[in-house]
Amino acid sequence: MVTKLAEKQQPSPSAGGRSATKWIMTLLSSSIGQKFVMGITGLLLCSFLVVHLAGNLLVYVGADAYNTYAKELHSMLLLPVAEVGLFLLLFTHIALAFKLTRDNQRARQVGYQQTQSKIQEKPSLFGQTPMGRTSSWMFISGAIILAFLIVHMIDMKLHLNPSVEYSIKTPEGVVEAKPYDIIIQVLGSLTAPIYIVGTIVLGFHLSHGFWSAFQSLGLNHPKYMPWIKKLAILFAFVIAAGFASLPIWGLFIH
Amino acid sequence: MAETATTVFNSRVPEGPMAEKWDRCKQEMKLVNPANKRKKKIIVVGTGLAGASAAASLAELGYQVESFCFQDSPRRAHSIAAQGGINAAKNYPNDGDSVWRLFYDTVKGGDFRSREANVHRLAQVSNNIIDQCAAQGVPFARDYGGSLANRSFGGAQVSRTFYARGQTGQQLLLGAYSALMRQVSTGRVKLFPRREMLDLVVVDGVARGIIVRNLITGEFEKYSADCVLLCTGGYGNAFYLSTNAKGSNVTAAWRCHKRGAFFANPCYTQIHPTCIPVSGDYQSKLTLMSESLRNDGRVWVPESQSDERRGNQIPDTERDYYLERRYPAFGNLVPRDVASRAAKERCDAGYGVGPSKQAVFLDFRDAIARDGRHAIEAKYGNLFHMYAKITGEDPYQVPMRIYPAVHYTMGGLWVDYHLQSTIPGLFVLGEANFSDHGANRLGASALMQGLADGYFVAPYTTGHFLASHSLPAVSTDDDAFKEAMANAQDRNAKILGIQGTRSSDSIHRELGHILWDYCGMSRERQGLETAMGKIRDLRDEFWSSIKVLGQGEQLNQNLEHAGRLADFLEFGELMVRDALVREESCGGHFREEHQTKENEALRDDENFCHVAAWEFKGVGNEPVEHREHLEFVEVPLATRSYK
Amino acid sequence: MSETLDLTLKVWRQPGSDAPGRYVEYKLTGISTHMSFLEMLDVLNEQLIAKGEEMIAFDHDCREGICGMCSLMINGQAHGPDTGTTTCQLHMRRFKNRDTIVVEPWRAKAFPVIRDLVVDRSAFDRIIEKGGFISVNTGSAPEANAIPVPAHIQETAMDAAACIGCGACVAACKNASAMLFVSAKVSHLSTLPQGQPERASRAQNMVAQMDLEGFGNCTNTEECQAACPAEISVSNIARLNREYLRAKLCSYE
Repeated sequence: MVTKLAEKQQPSPSAGGRSATKWIMTLLSSSIGQKFVMGITGLLLCSFLVVHLAGNLLVYVGADAYNTYAKELHSMLLLPVAEVGLFLLLFTHIALAFKLTRDNQRARQVGYQQTQSKIQEKPSLFGQTPMGRTSSWMFISGAIILAFLIVHMIDMKLHLNPSVEYSIKTPEGVVEAKPYDIIIQVLGSLTAPIYIVGTIVLGFHLSHGFWSAFQSLGLNHPKYMPWIKKLAILFAFVIAAGFASLPIWGLFIH
Repeated sequence: MAETATTVFNSRVPEGPMAEKWDRCKQEMKLVNPANKRKKKIIVVGTGLAGASAAASLAELGYQVESFCFQDSPRRAHSIAAQGGINAAKNYPNDGDSVWRLFYDTVKGGDFRSREANVHRLAQVSNNIIDQCAAQGVPFARDYGGSLANRSFGGAQVSRTFYARGQTGQQLLLGAYSALMRQVSTGRVKLFPRREMLDLVVVDGVARGIIVRNLITGEFEKYSADCVLLCTGGYGNAFYLSTNAKGSNVTAAWRCHKRGAFFANPCYTQIHPTCIPVSGDYQSKLTLMSESLRNDGRVWVPESQSDERRGNQIPDTERDYYLERRYPAFGNLVPRDVASRAAKERCDAGYGVGPSKQAVFLDFRDAIARDGRHAIEAKYGNLFHMYAKITGEDPYQVPMRIYPAVHYTMGGLWVDYHLQSTIPGLFVLGEANFSDHGANRLGASALMQGLADGYFVAPYTTGHFLASHSLPAVSTDDDAFKEAMANAQDRNAKILGIQGTRSSDSIHRELGHILWDYCGMSRERQGLETAMGKIRDLRDEFWSSIKVLGQGEQLNQNLEHAGRLADFLEFGELMVRDALVREESCGGHFREEHQTKENEALRDDENFCHVAAWEFKGVGNEPVEHREHLEFVEVPLATRSYK
Repeated sequence: MSETLDLTLKVWRQPGSDAPGRYVEYKLTGISTHMSFLEMLDVLNEQLIAKGEEMIAFDHDCREGICGMCSLMINGQAHGPDTGTTTCQLHMRRFKNRDTIVVEPWRAKAFPVIRDLVVDRSAFDRIIEKGGFISVNTGSAPEANAIPVPAHIQETAMDAAACIGCGACVAACKNASAMLFVSAKVSHLSTLPQGQPERASRAQNMVAQMDLEGFGNCTNTEECQAACPAEISVSNIARLNREYLRAKLCSYE
């Protein structure tokens, strides 16, 4: 009897080890846990967008400013680490989106013949897409953004845009073009309209995703939620307008 | 007339002073030891306040419980629709309430036709109910300091009603349901939703099981147990139109009656004065508007007959505020039965309003002028909203139209102090029994009774029954089960086989009209005799020309309804017979022959101070009336007056 | 005063859970605008019986908006076009003459169709079974006023407790998510002082059962809130998220 009691009070180390990981596994496999990860990764990606936009807007300051910024950025030792982190964030966000969307489709195998929203509130800026409420089309807007990102990577990372000259011949040989020159070419190239569409769709995605992340994290309070929702629209507008302004400028003004 | 048996009832009311009876009873009851409780199985039919609370409490004690309901979830039982509140003698407002006062008010409100000892116990346990429900998380209204709030109800002189907005019944039921589901999770309660009880199985004189129909597959199923608790509500739907849920029915109680349980006082029905009137032949049910509206609304009809004008276009000089005229002391706040009868009297005299002429006005014009629309909206906003939704009229602009409707039934299966029926092992709880409300129920007392029976009475008394009977094991292969099952199956097969011309709905409506016209708010001999014949004819018509489509082995709502209707057609006759035999007026039972010069109810304590408990003798045969004499020791017999 | 409507109804008919279903068209004439939607279906059923056709099965009971038994997707909207209203309280004056009305059952993997418009919502009961209660045995309750509950806490709990368990939230959600239902119950019990001891286990166990039943995930589209006849707020969903994360990250359970 005594030994039995002692056994119960002292869990074996292996059992303890299992339970230490078990709670995290159940958290991550639960619907709420996954939405939590969606929200966290989404908000971190939002913070990246702020930094990225701030850097890009230096284009308007001038070639020197932008080139210096690019040079400083690329000389950072931790940049590859940050890039890997960014990629992981994006990958998690996208992979979970696929998983959750698939789950959601399985939750209703026979669809309705007709559906109509009962939401009375008028949709805000970005609130309505041609296909319905923005909130219902997050996967589609996400997919469009992903497509845009691939184009963006081809242009800026892989340097495979055929209408852009990534290197220039100088008397010393072929050298890489200055970042400013590359971005100016990309913004004026055939892919520029894709940038405009991509960033506007990003605005739609953010207008819901931003406040939705707060909701998924449980951060909803009657005092603050109306402000968070307004902030989401402002944020979406600033990001979309900021990024979209670059190709517009590149195409028509520069 | 019916034969009257002189059976001396053993109501098993304990000896001793009133205030000590329940404690003494508990002390004298035998107990089942914990190891044996696990071996005892109890069937609970119905999952309303009484059923859910009983099933949960019994399972907590350790019994194996099987819980049945016809709804898709136990949470949907019709207790959920109760609006107003639940009474308890807590005396939190310090206004002089006590167990004795609640007991006194309930006996008097019941017009001296209830059993004193049962009512006293009800008042005693009322406080435990509030404690229990608060602990379960029922969100009762609170004061700013966090303590429980009370409101006044039904003209009581003290504030003793606890409430959760206008959804008290819902919140109490969800509390009992949550307790029940907790026991489901422990495995001590097995849940059988979408099952309709169609017969009681009596083995060697003891209730040992039930036959149910699985409403999804249509299969008949047999369940055995050591005792059966019936918590299946009232029979208001005999009238077709009532404030009951569409599914509420008398079938389970009636089948028990046919197996030997006496049915007590079936003529006692409560007609609630403030309901939204019938708007057409298609009407399927009636909606109650809370009694509290009469605090500010004034009831009137036009002075001239068949006035076609809208209510707000009729000037004051052409209005008859008949309640204020007839009852100057209480005015619009007379009790339910009095207000209902007065409305009927005006409409019968040709002064009714609205398209059907079966309605009176309940007008808030003066209250809005006095207190402002905002104040009225704050008090009654949700009720006004509901009224507007159903009628399409704006009650802030035009007076509401209201009419009385069947609401609650005080009668039910006869039970003793232990809530056991005349069949040993069959216990009856809540509205399904007859015991606590006499001939008229006070507002906010139905919830109290259901929970008192389920939480605090039945768990003791069923234990005593199980401990004091050595019950041999029974198998569902026993002949009694086979016989009951065949009986239930035959009845269904017969209904399906008729393939006549009339729908169950049309026959039910006709039954409703007969009962409402002849056995409704006021009754008289000739009408009741007419009704008796008409019900018999209608029953014959049912069994010759009912048309039910589909199969028995499927979800068949048509068959469900027809089966319930067949029982209402048998029950209706008993209701009328009881009304005929009770040659007095009391509470909800008003016989036109027995009234004072001022048209008030005239009780006959000399000859009718008893419970009429009917014994079944076969369909179409005269039942035998047994009488339990009622003695009023603590609350002396007196006449009510509201002039 | 009373107008009448001529209507075309397209109703989902399905003889059994495994049998294939289809939409059947019915013509109705002279429907009074004062009828409730279910009374209109009663009239249709009476006509079907007269014609020798089996009646349309649909769930209903109290017909006053509180039991949560009635359902129906009406023209693509759970409980029809009115907000804060159950199907049984929806009246025909809401429709126009010659309207076509499409009537479908709740559709979700976790709510299989039993027959016609009747679905099985027992998943909700199983979720409640996992923790939608406060463990207090009959008789062991303390004096009711011993635990004060601030009025605003009681109001918050009551707002959530008003849920009627009809399943409109699941039906209206594009993901067939049951988060509004579960969050209402968790909010009701977890905001009250009585519900504190089981707070962590309740949130975890109820969510685990919800996931097991095959409901979808919440994507914060707020359609549930708009469809809810008891007008339960999505702020409860945030509270459930919070409760769940708190339980997972901070509790010992």
